[in-house]
Formats: sequence, C-alpha cells, structure tokens
Amino acid sequence: MDEIKKGDLFSIAGLENVKISIGEIVEEEGGKDWEPMGPHPMPRIATLRDWDFKLLNRYKPFYAPLCDMCCLCTYGKCDLTGNKKGACGIRMDAQHGRIVLLACLVGCSAHCGHGRHLLHDMIKKFGRDVPIDFGPEVDVEAPLTRLICGIKPRTIGDFEQVFDYIEEQLVQLADALHTGQEGSYMDFESKALHMGMLDSLSKEAADIIQIACYGMPTSHEGGGPNVPLVDVGIGTIDTDKPVVLVIGHNVPPAADIGDYLTDNDLEDNVELAGICCTSIDTTRVYKKAKIASALGRQLRVIRAGIADVVVIDEQCIRADIVELCQRTHSPVIATNDKAMHGLVDRTDDDPDAIVADLVNERVPGVIILDPEQVGEVAVKTALQMDKKRRKLRFILSDDEFKQYVNECTQCGNCTLACPNGMRIGEAMASAASGDIKPLADMFDLCVGCGRCEQVCKKQMPIVDVITKAAYPQLREEKGRMRIGRGPIWDSEIREVGAPIVLGTIPGVIAPIGCGNYPQGTKDAWLIVKEFAERNYIVTLTGCMAIDAALWKDEDGKTLYEQHHGRFDGGGVLNIGSCVSNAHIHDAAIKIASIFAGRKLRGNYEEIADYILSRVGACGVAWGAMSQKAASIATGFNRLGIPAVVGPHSTKYRRAFLGRADVQDDWKIIDASDGSELYFEPGPQHLLVACETVEEALPMIAKLCFRPSDTDRGRSIKLTHYIDLSQKYLNTYPTDWHLFVRSATDLPIAKKTELLKILEDKHEWKIDWKTKRILEGPIRGYDPSFNPTNLKRLVRERK
Amino acid sequence: MGAEIPFDVANIPGPETGEVVAPKVIGSYISSAKRPLLVVGSEILRDEFFVELAIELGKKGIPIAATGHSIKGFVEKGYCENVQYYNLHDLTNCLRDPNWAGLDGKGNYDFVIFFGITYYYASQMLSCIKNFATDPLVRAVSIDRYYHPNARMGFANITPRQEEEYKAMLNRVVGSIKRR
Repeated sequence: MDEIKKGDLFSIAGLENVKISIGEIVEEEGGKDWEPMGPHPMPRIATLRDWDFKLLNRYKPFYAPLCDMCCLCTYGKCDLTGNKKGACGIRMDAQHGRIVLLACLVGCSAHCGHGRHLLHDMIKKFGRDVPIDFGPEVDVEAPLTRLICGIKPRTIGDFEQVFDYIEEQLVQLADALHTGQEGSYMDFESKALHMGMLDSLSKEAADIIQIACYGMPTSHEGGGPNVPLVDVGIGTIDTDKPVVLVIGHNVPPAADIGDYLTDNDLEDNVELAGICCTSIDTTRVYKKAKIASALGRQLRVIRAGIADVVVIDEQCIRADIVELCQRTHSPVIATNDKAMHGLVDRTDDDPDAIVADLVNERVPGVIILDPEQVGEVAVKTALQMDKKRRKLRFILSDDEFKQYVNECTQCGNCTLACPNGMRIGEAMASAASGDIKPLADMFDLCVGCGRCEQVCKKQMPIVDVITKAAYPQLREEKGRMRIGRGPIWDSEIREVGAPIVLGTIPGVIAPIGCGNYPQGTKDAWLIVKEFAERNYIVTLTGCMAIDAALWKDEDGKTLYEQHHGRFDGGGVLNIGSCVSNAHIHDAAIKIASIFAGRKLRGNYEEIADYILSRVGACGVAWGAMSQKAASIATGFNRLGIPAVVGPHSTKYRRAFLGRADVQDDWKIIDASDGSELYFEPGPQHLLVACETVEEALPMIAKLCFRPSDTDRGRSIKLTHYIDLSQKYLNTYPTDWHLFVRSATDLPIAKKTELLKILEDKHEWKIDWKTKRILEGPIRGYDPSFNPTNLKRLVRERK
Repeated sequence: MGAEIPFDVANIPGPETGEVVAPKVIGSYISSAKRPLLVVGSEILRDEFFVELAIELGKKGIPIAATGHSIKGFVEKGYCENVQYYNLHDLTNCLRDPNWAGLDGKGNYDFVIFFGITYYYASQMLSCIKNFATDPLVRAVSIDRYYHPNARMGFANITPRQEEEYKAMLNRVVGSIKRR
C-alpha cells in the first residue's frame, strides 16, 4: 500500500461517497532528513533561561516606574516606592518586570491572535494545502519556525501546530502574572524574553500565511528588490472618487475589497486607501491601493472626511472610531471579533439591506465577520455615500478658523494634556495675529491623540484648527514607497553575509513601529537617510516605513526612489507590515545558517549567540507606542539584536543597559581554544532610549559594533560612529577608544589624529615609527578570534 | 508653595511626590550636597541663556553630564572643562549603582540636578532615581520650567509668558549656591 501523505484524499470500497481528509499524521514536518534536530525544539519557559540570564547579567534590567503602586489585587493598593515590598511580598523591581511581561503578553497576543485568525480564514477559503513557496531565491522559507519549533512548514496547515505551541506557552506565561507566582525580576524578564520570541514567531507565521495565500511578493518575478512603488500620503487620495478607507492589521477584508473592485471593473472608479499595516499589506495584494498615512495621522485622516466608508479590522484602531466617523458621516464596517465597537453583527444579512441601512445612516456601522462579504458591502456603500457626502465640508472655514484662534485664552490646559507638551496656546496667539506657521508646523509634530481637545475649556476642535492651518501642506503630502517585499532572499544573504559579519557593510538598521515621535515624522526620514547614505542596509516595516516616505530631497525624490531595494549596502527596503518584520529576524538567522553554516533546527540559543556576537544589526523604534512594540523589541533582544527607541519609550518602564565601565560584564569565550577574554562593549546596550534624533544617530551606529568585526570592518564602523557624533553632537564620542584593538582598526583618514588622542588623553603607548599601538586596548585584534558566549560550542569544535 | 499639577497632567506616580519650592531653597539644598551632578538635556539649546547658566554652574565646581545632544551647546561656547556627553538612560543606570566611579573616577554622586531634559524622559529617569537610587540615597531636584512629581524638589509649571521670571529664578538658584 502506498504511504498516505498529509492532505491526501482517498476512497474506501463501500464508502465511495465519504471523503476522508488526512490532517495530522505522525511524521516530522518537512521530512526527516532536512537537518538534525537541535537541543531546544519548542522551548518551554525555562528551556532558554540560561541564555536569558547570560543576556540579563550583561544587559541588566533597568526600571523606571510610571506608577509607584501595585493595583492588581485586593490586598492593595500597595505603595512600592523606593523598591518597597507590597502586601504579597513583591518588590517594585519584580512588579515592573511583571508589568513588562504583561505588556509583552498583550503585544504577543495581538500578533498570535492575528496570525491564528488569519490562518483560520485562509484555511476556510483556500484549504490547508496552500504551499509555502517563496520562489527560486528562497529555500529557507521560515527561519524562525525552523529555529524555534524544529519544523519546516510545507503548507499553511503546518502552522496550526506552530500556533498550538505559541498559545500553550502564552497561557503558561500569562499564568506567571498571577499574584503569588513569580517573584524575581530576573525571571520575569526571562519570561518576557520568551514572550518576545513567541511574538517574533507569531509574526513570521502570520506573514508567511498571507504571502502564501494572497501571492504577495517573494522571489518570483517582480518581487524582492523589484517590487513597485506605491503612493503614500493624504494628498495622494483622489477625493473626487468614492473612497474606502481601511484601518488595522489584518488584510483579508481589504483584499476582498480589492477583489470586488477588480471583478466589477471599478478599479479606476473607487479609491482603496488605508492607514497603518493593513494599508501596507493591501498594496501587496491590490495594485491600485494607496497608503493614506501611518498610525500618527489616523485621527486627522478620519476628521478630514476623505472616507466614504471606513473598514476596520484589528489593532491600532482608535477606540472612538465610531464616534469620529459619525461626525464625518462615514459608515464603519467592523470585520473582526476583537474590535466590534458596540455595533450589530450583520454577517448573515443581505448585503443590499446592510448597504441601505448604512447609507441612510440608520446605524453608524455594522459588523461583518466574513471578509468576502465585506468587499461588496464596503464598495457599494462607498459608491452611494460619495454622492451623499459630496456636499459636506469637513475642513474648517476661514471664518471658523479665525473665530477659534481668537477665542483661545491660552489657559495652557492643552499643553498639560499633550504628550509632546506642544505649546498650542502660543501658536494660537500667533495665528490670531496673522502668522499661522507655528500652528501649521504642529501638524507634523502632533502624534494625533486628541487629548488637547478633551481638556479645552472652550471645547475647541484643536486638532481641526491645526489641520486647517496646515491644509495647504496636507494637500501636498504625497510620498512614494516600495510595497512590502517580504522575505530577504537566500541569494542576497549569500552576497552580504560575509560583509555584514566582517563589518565592511557596517550594519543592518531596522526602523520599525509606530508614530509616537518626539519631533515629527521627519526624524524617521533622517534616520533612514543617514544610514542608507553610509552604505548600511536599511530595512523598514510598519509605520516608520510609511512616515519615512513622506519626505523628499531637492529633486522631489523619496528615499525609496533614491536608493535601491536590495538587501545590500545602501539599500532602503520596505519589508512590509508589522508582522513582516519577522523577516528582519529571519535575515539575521539566515546569515548564521546560509553564510556561516550553523544548524537552525531547534537551535535558538546558538543562533542568538551568533547574532549577538557577529551580526551588526540594530532595531530602531523611534515612535514605539503600543504593547506590540514592547514585545517586538523584546523578541529582537532575545535573538541578540539591540534596539534604540525614542524618548516616549521610557514609558515602557524597562530598558536593558550594559555598563561599559564594569569590566566583568564583558567576558567572552574564544570558541577556537576555549579561552576567556575581556572584550569591548559591543553592543553596549540591548534596549536604550535617546532623547533626540541627534543623539540617536551615533548611538545606532555604536550598537552595530560586534566582537567579530575585522579590522577593516571596525575601521568603517568607527568612521561612521565618530563622524555621526561630530556631525550631530559636535564632538568626538567619549568612548570611541574602547572599540580600538589595534591601529588597523582606526579610520585611515584620521589615523594619526586618533593615535595622538590615544596617546595624550588615554595614555596608550604608540610606536610612531610604525604607527602601531603597543599598549592600551582592552584586547588586541586577532583575525582568528571565534567569539561565543556558550561554553558548549567550544567542546563541539574541538 | 504647595501641591502642583504635573506638567503632563496624568503623570501622577503615587504617594510620594515632589515639593514645589523657591529657587533659593533649591540653591541651599544643592549647597548641602557633597557630590552634586548637573544633568542637562537638549532643551537647554533653545536659548543661549540656559547653556550659559549651565556653564555657570559648572564653573562653581558642579560637574555636568550633557545628555541628548546638549553637548553641542557647550562645545559651541568652547566650554569643555567640566562637561561630558552621557546618554541619560545610561547615566541614570549608573546613578543607581553605589559603586559607579562617576564622571571623574571619584565615585557616585549624592545629588543630581535635572535641567532642560524632555519632560517625560526626565520624569521616568527621576522615577528610577527615586525608587532605586536609595542605598545610599541619591537626592534629585529639577530646575526645569515644569513641575516634576518624581523629583524631590522643583518649580511649579511655568508658562512661556513667564519666561523672564523663570530666567530670574534660575539666576537666584545659581546665586544662592554658597558652598562652591
């Protein structure tokens, strides 16, 4: 008898009308021989604890409480000020480790919930056997899944066991949050790192499923570096047409809207635009889609009234969406059971009846939980609402604007409520005397929360007043970005693996995440610009990918138009939505496997150790806002990738900070002979905030140092670190000398000057005849040095 | 002087909140410190007055940790004697460690003065000092134009219209530091 494979259909005599589908069979996914199983498949909470503690002992958790109390149980409230104990015995530090774990739980649940929901819908629509085929250039299709779960997924159905694993771990980790469970901040952090790892796995699974089912770009023709450009910005939306606006992170409803437009030949008649990650993913499946804005503009895009219908799915949707949309007569269609907003479920109703109720505004919105039904209802509603709404005006008139700016008493309440402390009253006064520029300039600085309006004694629509002042610029907000390209190709990794590990490509910079910027979107652009122009690889996802596309050079070109899209030096890559940033993890993992030949399967600890020691990558979440951002960064951190965050991120309460001055924290093993040596603090931190972008730029460059850098690579990295410090801080970095191992590490153009400083200021001994360093560095440069933090790898190599 | 609303109105940490005091009280408080440290942030760059005031404090023998990109202001003024760039997260992490050698290698500080740092970042770092730099105790005050509940002492919120008054307050702080 032939072996029955998963997914096979077969008949049994006498039961010809009964079909049996084979779901799970006892077989190793992906076959038995693809790679030997590593030591830690499907790790549980404690499995990778030793690795976590290695990280946590070097990068010690730092806590900055946002609240000094614990309010979770009925023993309390407890005052934990000064690291006091609460009634249950928990101290302030452990309580904050607990809060961080809780934040990561929320974030990871969002990605896992999204992925499971997507898988459920896709299996219903396409079946379990949609193949995972990323084209000729991608053989390592799911590095995180291979690494963590030890399986090689062949079809989307294989991800069911991945989500089973994640969900089981999520419950165990959530359990640890209960009063009377974990009491050590170090163990809370180990659990948070575990949660972060699950978060990254959830994202990979979610993106692979949607790529497979919707034919999103991979390495098939037109994919990768060759993906097309898409319009970005409020000004790119053609409001002369009916507009469907999608918001959120789960693409199926938007994809079905695109399908409906295509099937009914309406692509040129109706605009499909989006906010946040759904918009990025929509452009990956529907060519005519546009990106209205990232998260930070959500309130203002809705208030601007461009949407004839708003379709929400999940995550990053304003909680007051229905109320907001009622003001602009934009019906809401909720499509996901996690964000139902008090609306009535009409999933099984006649589409035309639903449209009639929406268009006649008998209801502010409806719930439709079947994505396929959403397409028809959304488009038909938009077509009819466009006619009704055409006569309506949403931007303030000149007279209204004047009235408001004159009414402002400059009481200061708005400033006290504003997360960025914007001195709105001053700008109002300026506008009242004829200069609207300060008010208009606030449009980009504003993070779009609307807290100012809640406290205005005059009940002024302050957001609208700012939008009115900025309206001419807003109409011209027209950027371009590449659509999300998804996975980095194996062939690209083969090209750049060596230059990255050896340091001649100075780093992979990953700007990701939300729009809670301290000083507006232009800083996102500046971060990308600086590093792309310096031959770093810049891989963007999510809101930062969108916001960086809003700004142009003197020739009117965005960074995506100026730079190539290859995973290579100088590239500016839009990887995709938030879930796509798993491919940035994947690129680092693939460097270890494809370039260095390390085994992936169930081998998380070794690969993370490799990345921490050799892959000069740094995440940048300049506007990190949500709990997802917390879990994303924590996932990067467990894999050995540091992250620089904006100042608002100190409100996450925790950082992972290394102490360059504590020598014992910087010991590493040479795997070639087992010797232990002190090394320079590279990377110095795993998670650190900077106050301003000027400070962040050299910090990002600094966190790309790795102990494995060659002398040429170190020289290039030092060049950029010093140059960025001089450019933005007007001075040499205070610690550049820590990264010098020999004179060949020094930037050639500054070698003599730097040797002199080493001699004069740091009292190093220099042989000036040969320009060699005789004494001074933490360690010398050894090209055969094979760094690791894991003793067991020494034994393996002997 | 009494209770004040935090500059970010929702920033109420818990039972222990800082006092609003007069400039000369802060000055005399600084005067009582054995090893004070001035921690400045990027907001000092908004007006030369603030950089010059920081330099004046530096010249009184108080070392300066220049966080954010505030170091630019000192370099432009040619003042490099007693000032060093430090990332604020990194610095605060060191401040909570009694064994930290300090900027000059002579040990940790018993008193920090926060000045010109983005409000919410400063607030979080002050929170860390309040909760974790306790053995031995590091005292932290703010001389910003904001009320900082996580600082032991500071000013009330100061509106832009009171800018000149604020500058006068800062001058009074400097003027009342007697020990150096």
